[in-house]
Amino acid sequence: MADRRRINGPPGGTRPPVYASLQESTTGAAQRAQRQRQPAELRKIFLQTGMIPTASGSSYLEFEPSASLAAARANPKSLIPPSSALKVACTVHGPKPLPRSAAFSPNLVLTTHVKYAPFAARKRRGHIRDASERDLGVHLETALRGAIIAERWPKSGLEITLTIIEAEDDRWWGDAPDSHDASWGLMNVLAGCITAASAAIADAHIDCLDLVSGGVAALVSDESNSASSIPRLMLDVDPAEHRSILSACVVAYMPARDEITEIWLKGDSSRAALEKGDDRSSHEALIDGAVDAARGANTVLSEAVRESITRSIAQA
Amino acid sequence: MASTAASAPAVPSLNLPPSQFARLQPHAYLLAHLSPPSASTQPSVRANGRAASQFRVTSANAGSLTHTNGSAVVRIGDTAAVCGVRAELLHTADIASWSVSNASDEEADSATQKGASQNADDDRNQVQDLHLLVPNLSLSTGCAPGLTPGAPPSTLAQSLSHEILSLLHTTNLVKADDLRIWYQPPNLESEEFRNAAEGMEVDSEQNGGPEPEIKAFWVLYIDIMIISWAGNAFDAAWSSVLAALRDTKLPKAWWDADNETILCSDDIADARKLSLRGLPISSSFCSFEADAAAGWRAVVIPSPEELKSQGQKEGSQQRWILADPDGYEEGLCEERALIVVDNEDGKTVILKMDKLGGWGMDSDDLRQLVDVSAERWQEMKQILDQC
Repeated sequence: MADRRRINGPPGGTRPPVYASLQESTTGAAQRAQRQRQPAELRKIFLQTGMIPTASGSSYLEFEPSASLAAARANPKSLIPPSSALKVACTVHGPKPLPRSAAFSPNLVLTTHVKYAPFAARKRRGHIRDASERDLGVHLETALRGAIIAERWPKSGLEITLTIIEAEDDRWWGDAPDSHDASWGLMNVLAGCITAASAAIADAHIDCLDLVSGGVAALVSDESNSASSIPRLMLDVDPAEHRSILSACVVAYMPARDEITEIWLKGDSSRAALEKGDDRSSHEALIDGAVDAARGANTVLSEAVRESITRSIAQA
Repeated sequence: MASTAASAPAVPSLNLPPSQFARLQPHAYLLAHLSPPSASTQPSVRANGRAASQFRVTSANAGSLTHTNGSAVVRIGDTAAVCGVRAELLHTADIASWSVSNASDEEADSATQKGASQNADDDRNQVQDLHLLVPNLSLSTGCAPGLTPGAPPSTLAQSLSHEILSLLHTTNLVKADDLRIWYQPPNLESEEFRNAAEGMEVDSEQNGGPEPEIKAFWVLYIDIMIISWAGNAFDAAWSSVLAALRDTKLPKAWWDADNETILCSDDIADARKLSLRGLPISSSFCSFEADAAAGWRAVVIPSPEELKSQGQKEGSQQRWILADPDGYEEGLCEERALIVVDNEDGKTVILKMDKLGGWGMDSDDLRQLVDVSAERWQEMKQILDQC
């Protein structure tokens, strides 16, 4: 049944274009993007608040494009982008009174909506939120609920909407999906969403315990035969730059209280090459790595919030 | 209590800051700005500091999104629209009525050689019949407080999407020929081919001749996200569509007879840009009336003769036509106008004129608005050329 509230395409359906170079990829014409950063080096983050004046709080977050993407943009050769960088717009509406029909709530009622733009990913997305988008919304809500002081706004609602204008890839585009595969790009998107939402909440002057920021760490193995190789711990991974990701972890972290409000760990984290004398288990190392990444994001976040506050003081 | 009252004789201050006055009495606030007291030398400006026919600062930026064939971000003041164009393939085998309609098209094709205008009509039919342009506008991005995200598209979003679609069709902006993927069947009669194709299974029906045939069409999915909405969503959305289409590059595509599918080349040198017909620029206006309650009274619309005899003083009230209304002004105005113009060799061409919600604007006003829109065309052309 076609969606009658939207303009639908041809009734017979359309097919995404198939590139000829993909079929003869044995020639190795396309090179996999390589990570140019150190294992513990994070991507730069652009974060700005107050770009949407009709909302009580808003923010826009963008990750620095990877070296290969920057090169492809500067000197375009192929129509297939080597990787992509996250771009998220976030708005906060509220606190506003709950509708009359809603049940009494002594706390602030938080609702989060995460929606991919149809053109956000390599594969065209639908207009209706799918399960993964709803899942992201739930994860985001848990991450933020721990930070907001909800009892200060009884009977009120806070609506947080994130629009993902460009998402991260789940794997390098030339790779076929394999057994290690999961939606790794989703983890980066969640980390970005947490940081962006936190900035927008601060921009809306909602009381929080601390600024909560998101970080990602992953165990990756870049050698071709993944069975023998030992995976390494890396922070802020771009899935397009690695051959296989074994396990990844996102945390939402509040540095001032040293508290984690949300943790999401996927994959097999049983084997990892840690430095000698490091007796942490590898999933502990993974979580610590994600916390380090979140600490890095927090420096950008606090700077953006400072800008937001100075602007609102200047306006008052 | 008493002592404090005595020490501070509390005279309630009636001085409201302008921002609060604007919220409490929006109509009076805007009216006071537009009609300053005659004694003062203050010019009549809108509450946002613009003159009546002044548009907001506009900026455009194209080609910043990775996973699109063409994309653009347009900001008109505080309203921001992001548009992404994705091209997908529609095989003629997937078109239910293709073999039937194709036969009738053949006749039309020979006729279209005669004139360009008929060619344009033919293009429109094919683009429209096969749904090759699919614009969708989304307002549920949290862009304004009233709109619930996650809900199905509001009536406004639906009507905006539809208006964009109909404007794309009536202006014939995209050439159907840019979207067609042709295939020239090999000439099986020729000697060389016979030698080359020896042992290959050959469809005897193809012997007819090397008449080129359409194997597929590009379908352009044009998705517009209104990221921030502060009035005049249509102008922002339409200019973002225009900028994105100007940025759109379609890969070179061909029919691969062996695989019986369409293959594309990812080489950027092979890709070509869309060649658009003209540059239709839209401008929105609204009419602000001095008497807020006028819309509620029963009105007998006077005939034009009566109006002339009465003069403007009695028959109609004072009103201002505001270009590019922001969200605040849109809420106060009933009557709107939308004019889409293009410029062909220095001559202004009206492509669409929409006026609704009242009877205040007359033909003289509309003539003036067309002139304002023509100026706006020049301004927008510069902005779009630079992006």
